[in-house]
Formats: sequence, structure tokens, C-alpha cells
Amino acid sequence: MQPSLSFEQAPPISVPYRFFLTAPLFGAAAGLVLVGFGPAALESRWAPGALAMTHLIVVDFMLQVMCGSLLQFVAVVAGANIWRPRLVASVVHPLITAGAVFLVTAFLLEAQALFLLAALSFALGLGVLLTVMGIALVRTPARGMTIYTLRLAVVGLLVTVVLGVTLASILGSVDILESFWSMVALVNVHAAWGLGGWALMLVIGVSFMVVPMFQLTPPYPVWLTRVLPAGLFVLLCLWSLQLLGGEPQPWQPVVLFSGMLLAGSYAAATLWLQWRRKRRKADVTSTYWRTAMLALAALVVSWFVFQAVPQLGDHPRSAVWLGVLALPGLFLSVIIGMLYKIIPFLNWLHLQRVAGFSRNTPNMNRMISERAMRGQMRLHLAALGLLLAAVLWPPLAVPAGLAFTASCLWLEWNLVAAARLYARLRDEIRAAADAQIARPAE
Amino acid sequence: MPEQRVIDGRAMSPPEPLELAVAALREMASGDELVMVLNCEPYPLYSLLDRNAYRHSSRVREDGANEVRIRKL
Repeated sequence: MQPSLSFEQAPPISVPYRFFLTAPLFGAAAGLVLVGFGPAALESRWAPGALAMTHLIVVDFMLQVMCGSLLQFVAVVAGANIWRPRLVASVVHPLITAGAVFLVTAFLLEAQALFLLAALSFALGLGVLLTVMGIALVRTPARGMTIYTLRLAVVGLLVTVVLGVTLASILGSVDILESFWSMVALVNVHAAWGLGGWALMLVIGVSFMVVPMFQLTPPYPVWLTRVLPAGLFVLLCLWSLQLLGGEPQPWQPVVLFSGMLLAGSYAAATLWLQWRRKRRKADVTSTYWRTAMLALAALVVSWFVFQAVPQLGDHPRSAVWLGVLALPGLFLSVIIGMLYKIIPFLNWLHLQRVAGFSRNTPNMNRMISERAMRGQMRLHLAALGLLLAAVLWPPLAVPAGLAFTASCLWLEWNLVAAARLYARLRDEIRAAADAQIARPAE
Repeated sequence: MPEQRVIDGRAMSPPEPLELAVAALREMASGDELVMVLNCEPYPLYSLLDRNAYRHSSRVREDGANEVRIRKL
């Protein structure tokens, strides 16, 4: 039997929705940064435009949705009691939103004081989130590979935040920290934990449950569910040893090579399961998942090609190519695909709770129209294609940025429409119930 | 005479079994039974049943499927 979802523990609908509705706006801003900077933003991973776009996507878009989902998912999957979810969301959401705005503005304006404000906001906001989440995940009686992987992902977020706050403090002129670590080593380890130890670990943990459940595939092989998260975690610990300083060690490329092999195995396994699924007709969520896994596979193949052909691998835009495959290609595809499953389900479930069985509520597939989701998905795929093409031929940067902005705004439109539909239906149900109570007195 | 209805949701993608169950529960008379055969434990449905005065029990069958029996009180 598959692991199960327990909605008895689900927090109020406003808790995840505030994160979900904020995120796409920052994705749109990332596209506008590309439009503003043009080809210069794609010159290398160190270009100010590239750093601003990267953080708009990873912190403002991905972290927002992942925080909202985690508050929902940990309560639901782990049956874990999140301490006062409404209060936690009210503290964490504004702090990480402000921190992200400070950070991106700091990159764009090279303003040192804003790096310090960003560090402070993230330390406070994510400190609260990690404490509450950590306690809930330690106390939960639930077992299984999804819970185990979620715990590792939370540790991954903790390491990412500590390193990120350290980096922001150094950029904000707390020079004393720079004497302990090299900036390049700090950035490399921070990025590895953020993308591998937090984001990919969370995607892996969630996929063990949702891919078989929603896409009707066979379950992941048990050995893979054990090897993947543990292997990834051990490799990240080894990768972090470069923080101890000294010359680059000969084993470091081996660690990176092993990490890429693990990521490639995960992508191949998921694509294989999707190939063997019982239902052939693919909905928007399955297509988004397949796109994500193809992007991950393309990232791994590209990395091996870059190692084999140093003329390509040494090019400054090679890292940007991998970044496009990782961020809009892998992570945003999974996130948007899951939002299109989660939001109709939450709308429906909370309406059922308000209405009871006595009243008809619309089916979940009416919460966001299929046509709107498919249109947005096509635009996302077109934007992804244009972004990759722009890395190869930078004059395409402006149309790529415009397409990406448009796809994020369309996503926002779809999510806001679903949230407004929920509010309207809830009010109608309550008004009908009030009228029924008032009638006998007339 | 009480009626029994069966929903085999094993080849359906969530939320389809849940929606079918709620539609069936609306039409059930007192004493009728709904049997669901699923690949998972439908906790979201349990929380709705508890709020609406339905009794439910579940067991894992030999083939690994979860059989849920729901009766209107």
C-alpha cells in the first residue's frame, strides 16, 4: 500500500496560499531583470543580473512555494502537529519576502547594507520555520522514506541558510568572516546544499509519494528510495570538506561525478516509472513532471559533455546553461505541476468541510480550467526553450525574458482565479446556511 | 432494503475516487454501505466522514489493497 495523506492535520487554507500567491510575481520579476540587463545577464554565473535572477527564482519563487508546501505537507504526510501554523506563516512569510527583496536589490545595486538586512531577515524568518519544522518532524510518529527524506531536506535547508547568511554578511562587509573561508568555496558549498541538499532532496522525497499516487505508476524500487537520499547527503558532506581550506583535492571531482550519477539515476528511474504508468493520457501535472525529469537528465548529460570537452566546459556560459536546466527546467516545472494539483485539492477539501455532504461543490477539475493550465504550460515550455537558446545566442535574451515573465504572470492569474473561486463558493455556502437557519424564524 | 455500492479506485488518479465517494455518499440512505478499494488510506475522506455522521472501517486485503467500508448511521 502507498503512503497516505492525512488532511485531518491540514492547516488553514490561508497558510499555504499566501506563499503560493506571492511566488510567481517574483518569477515575473526575474524575467524582467533579464529584459533589463539583456545578454549581459547571461555572460557568466557571476554577472550581477545572473545573480539577481538566480536568487529571484531560488529564494523568491522556489523557497516561497516550498515553505508553503512544507507547512502543508509536513502536517499532512507526517501527521505532525505544526505549532500555531497561522502565526508561523504570519512571521515567516513577510520576513523571507523582505529578505529576498533586500538580497536581489543588493545584487543589482551592489549595496552592502542591504546584504546585511537580507542576512538578518533570512536568519530570523527561516530560523523560526526550521525550528518549528524540525520539532514537528522529530516528534512525528510517522515512518517511511518520505519522512526520512523530508528530514534530510530540512537539514539541507539549515546548512544552506547558515552558509547563505554567512555569505551575505561577508558581502555586507563583515570582513572578519572572509578570513576563515574562501568566497568561491563558500558559494560552491552553499549552492550545492541549496540545490542538492534542500531543493532536490525535497523533490525526491515528495516524488516517492506523489509520482505513484497521482500518475498511477509502479512504486519506486525500495533500494533506490534508500540509496538516493542517503547517498546524496553523504556526497554533500564530502563536498563541504573544501571549506577546510587548502589546495583543491583530487577527490573533489569524484564527489561531483558521483552526485551527477545519482541525480541522473533518479531522473532515469522517474522517467522509466512514468513510461510504465497505467493511465496513458497525460494531464498537466504529469507533463510538467516529465519535463522536469528530462531537464534533469539533460543537465547531467551536459555536465558529462562539459567534462569531456573542456573547450565547452571552460566557457563562462556553460554554468548558465546548467542553471537554466536546473531552475526553470527542473525545479519550476515540478513546482508549477504540483501547484496545479495541490490548489484544486485544497479548494475542494476546505469547501467540503464548510458545506458537508448536503451541498454540491464543484469538482476539483473545475477549480482551475484545463485550458488555462495547458496554455500556461505551453508558454512555460516556450520560455524554457528560449532561455536555453539565449544562452547559446545571447541576442535572444530579451524575448526569453519577456516569455518567462508572461508565463509567470499567467501562472499567477490561474492561482488567483482559483483562490477567488474558493472565496466566492465559501461565501455562497455560508450565506445559504445562514438563510436556512433564519427561515424558520420568519 | 439496504444497498451496497463498490468503488474500485485503484486505477483512478486522485482525486477521482474521493469525488466519486462524496457523490455516492450524498445519495445513500440510512443503512446503505459504500465499499471502496484503494491503494492508500483515504485520510481526507475519513475527516469528512467523521464530520458528517458516517461510520467507517478499513482493512488491508491479501492483494495489498485497502478496503474501506462506509455506512450511513
